[in-house]
Amino acid sequence: MALIGGESPGDTEVMQSTTTAVPWMLTEVAGHGAAQVATPFVSRIAAVGYQQPDGILTSRELLDGAAHHPHIDLERLTGIHERRVVGPGEDSLTLAVGAARDSLAHAGTPGSEVEMIISCSITRYRGGMTQRYEPPLSMAIKTAIGAPNALSFDITNACAGTLTGVFIINDFIRRGVIRCGMAVSGEYISGLARGAAQDVRNVLSSQLASLTLGDAGVAVLLRRADEGVAGIDLAAFTTLAEHSRLCLGYLSGTRPGAIMYTKARKLQGAAIRDVPPLLEEALGEMGIDLSQVDYVIPHQTSSRAIRKGGQALTEHLGGKAGHIVDNLEEYGNTASTSHFVALHRYLEEGRFKKGDRVVLLALASGLEIGVVSFTMDEMVENYGRPD
Amino acid sequence: MAALIEAVAAISGRTGAFAPTGLRLTDDAARQCLRRSGHEASDIDLLINAGIYHDRNLGEPAVAALIQQDIGANPGHPVAGHHGTFSFDLLNGTSGVLSAVQLVDGLMASGTVQLAMIVAGDVDPDPGHSPGFKVRPAGAAMLLRHQAGEAGFKAFKFQTFPEFEDLFQSSVSWHPASGPSLPLRPSGHNVLAVVELPGYLERSVACTASSAAAFLEENELRPADIDLLVAAHTSPGFADMVADQVGIPRTAVAHLNEAFQHTHTAQVIARFAEAQTRRRLHPETRVLVATAGAGITVGLALYSGS
Repeated sequence: MALIGGESPGDTEVMQSTTTAVPWMLTEVAGHGAAQVATPFVSRIAAVGYQQPDGILTSRELLDGAAHHPHIDLERLTGIHERRVVGPGEDSLTLAVGAARDSLAHAGTPGSEVEMIISCSITRYRGGMTQRYEPPLSMAIKTAIGAPNALSFDITNACAGTLTGVFIINDFIRRGVIRCGMAVSGEYISGLARGAAQDVRNVLSSQLASLTLGDAGVAVLLRRADEGVAGIDLAAFTTLAEHSRLCLGYLSGTRPGAIMYTKARKLQGAAIRDVPPLLEEALGEMGIDLSQVDYVIPHQTSSRAIRKGGQALTEHLGGKAGHIVDNLEEYGNTASTSHFVALHRYLEEGRFKKGDRVVLLALASGLEIGVVSFTMDEMVENYGRPD
Repeated sequence: MAALIEAVAAISGRTGAFAPTGLRLTDDAARQCLRRSGHEASDIDLLINAGIYHDRNLGEPAVAALIQQDIGANPGHPVAGHHGTFSFDLLNGTSGVLSAVQLVDGLMASGTVQLAMIVAGDVDPDPGHSPGFKVRPAGAAMLLRHQAGEAGFKAFKFQTFPEFEDLFQSSVSWHPASGPSLPLRPSGHNVLAVVELPGYLERSVACTASSAAAFLEENELRPADIDLLVAAHTSPGFADMVADQVGIPRTAVAHLNEAFQHTHTAQVIARFAEAQTRRRLHPETRVLVATAGAGITVGLALYSGS
């Protein structure tokens, strides 16, 4: 399914949708026609691992320490009451390794079975706030989990990193090159929130979005699915690069760590306009509509943005998913880990049942838009704790 | 069926005042690559950036997205009847381009991608303030297309040797300034520092040679079967040393234009570009690509084709 209307780039009309043979998104679809010869297998999410940082920082505490006393009700604005933050001795690497081990434990899989490991985080802090460039972080992670022979490298794709990793590993598994791979991300980004609190004066600040950030480690273990298991139906991605400069994060010139400037309204506008038709395209590739999706987990930025996004989806697609997940209250925006922090929590709370269709919706600086759709299976049996 | 190199381009930079940014070098290489191929930027399905060091240590978005915008590879709203472009960054040191090629080759085999561009840019993120940073500025681009014949990339092997992790490390950390500073307003600078220990080159050669020997055997090839060795490392001399240890004649070593000595992620493409300039790539040329970098990480591939 592709799109009509607005034939030239820069057109601001909302796209209508129709069916054509050329999808806009780079799309991997399970069990599609001639491609099945080249991709005879299906991958499934065997486990999601999570490493919770030791500390907690409430939105109130964050702004209580602000230099300019901005009169911002951050919790009301974002839906974020608190977020987890690293404690002493924690960093991107410890979060990633902890999550990787957690995923292996849930799956009952030894590290030696992992044939491919991709580190997908934006931050690569190792030893406090030392951002490591070389060697790649994935090397240290695979050594820690006992997968020394795994194919490994790092990728970075802003908040879409982990889902990009899933997209890559899905391809390797579908082609039969590997049976088991892991996308892992340890994000230590709370420093940007603390730094922004020193600069922000009001809601118009270009660092406002940084106040939503929290830390987390996640790992997604993918395995070849047995025949008949639905697994990952689709993984699709595109980059609407005309928006690539709307959110820029650099290592700061004035304080330890990074600083990020976001034109939030423009990004939100682009997302509201372009995500619905692209999700419709992805659903069309699977032959389903939104009402057949039980859970949509969008990138977690603010409750307001998630609500508006959900409304836009309903208006455009003419239906509603069963549930749109908002996991911000206790976790904040954890960048490339956000989808899987939410997924892990819902698994532990026993919210899913086998057969539920879950759509993970990536929305990230770039502007990266991605869709990963899968059917919940026996993985639910490996989780569960009382609320 | 494999990924075939459609075109390559490499542009060397310079240091000092008014030097072009790493992004500019990479953009220019990408455009030159497209001109040589006859393709439009809008033909690109996938764009992967394998450069590690970015202007001002940019961490978000992926630099690939900036390059995608700059070269006009479907940056705007989705258009009916056409595909878009997906871009992201991949970091694997000197082997990054080869890792990206492996991904592209796989996505082509699965029918997901028809045309892909891999770019790599090398630049000092903070010129003059990065102790130990010896990488020369450059931008490079390689365009790959899916083709059904026998030519192209045939096999890949990556091996890591974490016991030598300490031989080369680069990282950015906060260096406080001396003297008083304001509360909550630390005085200092984020500094990129590179530490290369003695023996890094020699150990890189040894790891590469042992991996390459096994790789050739696994592919039922002898060293003498290799017509062209494209070997990349930040230290000069690596290619000749690998050739000697593996038993490949030095005459098979792909030259590197002097302007690209001490380049890093861009070097593999720069060597392919020089080989093309010297007319050393023919349909029957059997190429061994061998890269090594921090880790120690070794990347190997076999390639044939014009």
